[in-house]
Amino acid sequence: MTPPRRRPLWALPALAFGVPLFAALWFGVSQAVDGDAWRRLFADSQFAPALRLSVWVGSASTGLSLLAMLWLVTRLHGTRTWLSIKAALGGLLAVPHAAFAVGLALLLMPSGWLSRALALVTGWESPPDIATVQDPAGLALIFGLVLKEVPFLLWNVAAQLERVGQGAELTRQLQVAATLGYAPATAWARVLWPQLLPRLALPLLAVWAYGFTVVDMALVLGPTRPPTLAVLAWQWLQDADDATNRQGAAAALLLTGVMATAAVVAMLAWQAARPALLRRWTRGDRPAFVEQRASVLPVFVAAVYAAVLALLLFTSLVGVWTYPALWPARWSFDAWHTVAASLPTLGVTALLALGSAGIGVLLAVTWMETTPAHWDARAAWGVFVPMLVPGVLLVAGLYRVTLALRLDGTLGGLWLAHSLYVAPYVLVTLAPAYRSFDVRMQQTAHALGRSHAAFLWRVKWPMLLAPLASSFAVGFAVSVTQYLSTQFIGAGRHASVTTEALTLASGGQRNLAAAFSVLQGALPAAVFAVAWRWGRRQARRLEAHSSAVA
Amino acid sequence: MTAHITRRQLLAASAAVPLGLSFSRASMAADWASVQRAARGQTVYFNAWAGSERINAYLQWAGAEVAQRWGVKLEHVKISDTAEVVKRVRAEKQAGRLTDGSVDAVWINGENFLAMKRDGLLFGPFAESLLSYAGVDTLGKPTTKVDFSEPVDGMEAPWGMAQLTFYADGKKVPQPPRSMAELVEFAKRNPGRVSYPKPPNFHGTTFLKQMLLEAHTDRKPFYAPVQADAFARLSAPLWSTLDALHPSLWRQGRQFPASNVAMRQMLTDGELLINLTFNPNEAATEIDAKRLPESVQSWQHSAGTIGNTHFLAIPFNARAKEGAQVLIDFLLSPQAQARKADIRFWGDPTVLALDRLAAADKALFAQAQAPGVVTQSAPALPEPHATWVEAIEREWLRRYGQ
Repeated sequence: MTPPRRRPLWALPALAFGVPLFAALWFGVSQAVDGDAWRRLFADSQFAPALRLSVWVGSASTGLSLLAMLWLVTRLHGTRTWLSIKAALGGLLAVPHAAFAVGLALLLMPSGWLSRALALVTGWESPPDIATVQDPAGLALIFGLVLKEVPFLLWNVAAQLERVGQGAELTRQLQVAATLGYAPATAWARVLWPQLLPRLALPLLAVWAYGFTVVDMALVLGPTRPPTLAVLAWQWLQDADDATNRQGAAAALLLTGVMATAAVVAMLAWQAARPALLRRWTRGDRPAFVEQRASVLPVFVAAVYAAVLALLLFTSLVGVWTYPALWPARWSFDAWHTVAASLPTLGVTALLALGSAGIGVLLAVTWMETTPAHWDARAAWGVFVPMLVPGVLLVAGLYRVTLALRLDGTLGGLWLAHSLYVAPYVLVTLAPAYRSFDVRMQQTAHALGRSHAAFLWRVKWPMLLAPLASSFAVGFAVSVTQYLSTQFIGAGRHASVTTEALTLASGGQRNLAAAFSVLQGALPAAVFAVAWRWGRRQARRLEAHSSAVA
Repeated sequence: MTAHITRRQLLAASAAVPLGLSFSRASMAADWASVQRAARGQTVYFNAWAGSERINAYLQWAGAEVAQRWGVKLEHVKISDTAEVVKRVRAEKQAGRLTDGSVDAVWINGENFLAMKRDGLLFGPFAESLLSYAGVDTLGKPTTKVDFSEPVDGMEAPWGMAQLTFYADGKKVPQPPRSMAELVEFAKRNPGRVSYPKPPNFHGTTFLKQMLLEAHTDRKPFYAPVQADAFARLSAPLWSTLDALHPSLWRQGRQFPASNVAMRQMLTDGELLINLTFNPNEAATEIDAKRLPESVQSWQHSAGTIGNTHFLAIPFNARAKEGAQVLIDFLLSPQAQARKADIRFWGDPTVLALDRLAAADKALFAQAQAPGVVTQSAPALPEPHATWVEAIEREWLRRYGQ
């Protein structure tokens, strides 16, 4: 750990990020401080079942995602499949949740493509009256969440394994375990997971929180009677009536409280379970080696993603398509004509995304350059507020801030709002690589008499180009998918690809919603692709360089 | 609860009175020419639901017209839910933004109008001093004066007419049910193929209100604030009908579609047989856009269906109040109303009294009978008092909400 240089500079990103966030939070939460709102909330007949449903969806999706992650990594790490999974992760992550949900619904719904394919066998003439999406138990929603979260968790595991120093250490431990006669699965269970899982606590909490509070995916795939509490809170906060708004704010605050409680409970459970787990892990026996080939699951996930994306594209071109025909009777470019007519929104979207991802990277780098690594814990609350506090609550507060600053309806206000959402994601994705940058490099550079600036520009940042580029791409994607903040703070005057998609989708034209979903996904995907290529080219250059030196 | 509302209403009223008075005097005294003069060069941010490409295209046409005639620039702010606008204007007021608001005109009715009027968020009265207002059919279309039992008082200008209408593919439903009793029988014969949007969705609640009104011949109590004991007695037939209907509904009434738009898609998919809408020309415009087959027919229940009007209003802190009035005046003119009523452009019924129009203006409205339009129109029943809506929605959620 080097002593931070120019220490007071850390205040800059902290203030730039913390002050507007705190103000927004203050305004947002003050809405929920109203006894009548809480009474109304608890008296609402939908409240208890909706909360139960939310907890179930969050827990089931996290549990299944965790199992899938453990299984996939244990079985596949070190194989060729693992390498191709790793290469595909960026692309899978870039698919926006809302677009994925729309595509998945097109696949699964009673009049969807799967049902039409089945109709060939069953002879159905009209769609079956079965709840394949929006089922009361939330299974379709959980399925969709797991498909979106498994890549996220795998990406986190990969990031941990690639941390300079530690990654190599873990690989060595695997080799040692193999030499001692342990099957890879046992080595993972006894040696690697006990070290990795605590580091995955935050991503796992984020997965739970996402499943617990998600609105957009739940609207498409989730139950309706009652919906999840997050959807109810969102609907109440959308209402024109002030008292109903406050009830919604109270519900949103309650969601945050439950989340905090769950985090504490999970931590305590881990502490309690640790001794027993440790005894089991350190028993030393070598269970029988079971050979298992596990390439079915990744193939399945890839197939669903491919089907979802293909269906979005397909549906965007559908004119008239009666059940149970497998193929539309009439194709139509209407949806894409509309997309073309709203091309200016593409410019606004890209501008905002570039601007907020740029400032996000700047803030994150300034923070990490001016603070020691253990300070990240101090920043954690601020970083996780935009991720964990339900969007509607924070956006309402943020809107009041921009009103006070007269930034409402301006691109500047939108930039501020997007940056607040983008910066945390950039920091979280950048920190593992950035924080574990080899200190000896800096010592060498300084020993050679080079300035700190020269070290940053010539050594550190070029070597970290790949993580910098991919965190920029993550920030870009977060900005593109902003709906509430864009609509509210932009006073509806600056349409983005996402707001356009959702307002047009409120008219219920399926082909239009599909076309905008494609666009919503294509924009971040393009940036991810560029970031990935950049990172690879840089890695090759560095490799060539080091082999030339050797 | 009552005390709370009364206090809030008083507060809102006291806040609105000085503004309202000065504005009303100003707008009464000012002649229309000076409004037009002030409007020139203004940009009107018109916040309007943008879920339909046709409506957006219609507004583009209107924008070109007002720009050319009066130098008013129309910016269509596309929104998915008018409640967003109510919240935005309310937040602006709370933040002390009493001028220079972000909204100049808004497409509105019902509870959103009630909320804005009650909280003193509207400019006016202005509607009745518009030139085109003289053509509005206030006698034949009483809902232009009373919006969901709330007196309009000139705080919004009527823009278009709506009436609960059902439609279905005539090939699959040759004998459409023309009353709720017939609809229940139809559902029993076609289990799983009928539904209604989940209340408090607007159309879902309207379906319940329609059922409630159809169960009674004496409808007077529904046009006064709801009383608890009367509610239990008068709503009993509604719940017994629903209890009988639900087992035959889509998903046995355990699930409901989110909206009538979702139901339209389910109709084209063949999942449902009947959809409901507030626009009597919806089926015709959808047929014209080739999204519904030509065999689709529209009908209304023979004893009448619930009808209402949608309006245009100006927030109290609008920046371009004159520009907004010029725009609204044009949107009420025979030319704009005729284009709006034409199913090729939008298909939204006019608020004007056609028999009072000059022959040339009247001719604008002449169009061939398009496939899918309502052939036998039924009387429009006024919306019950707004308090009934809340009571029905709460009781529905309690009985069937989970």
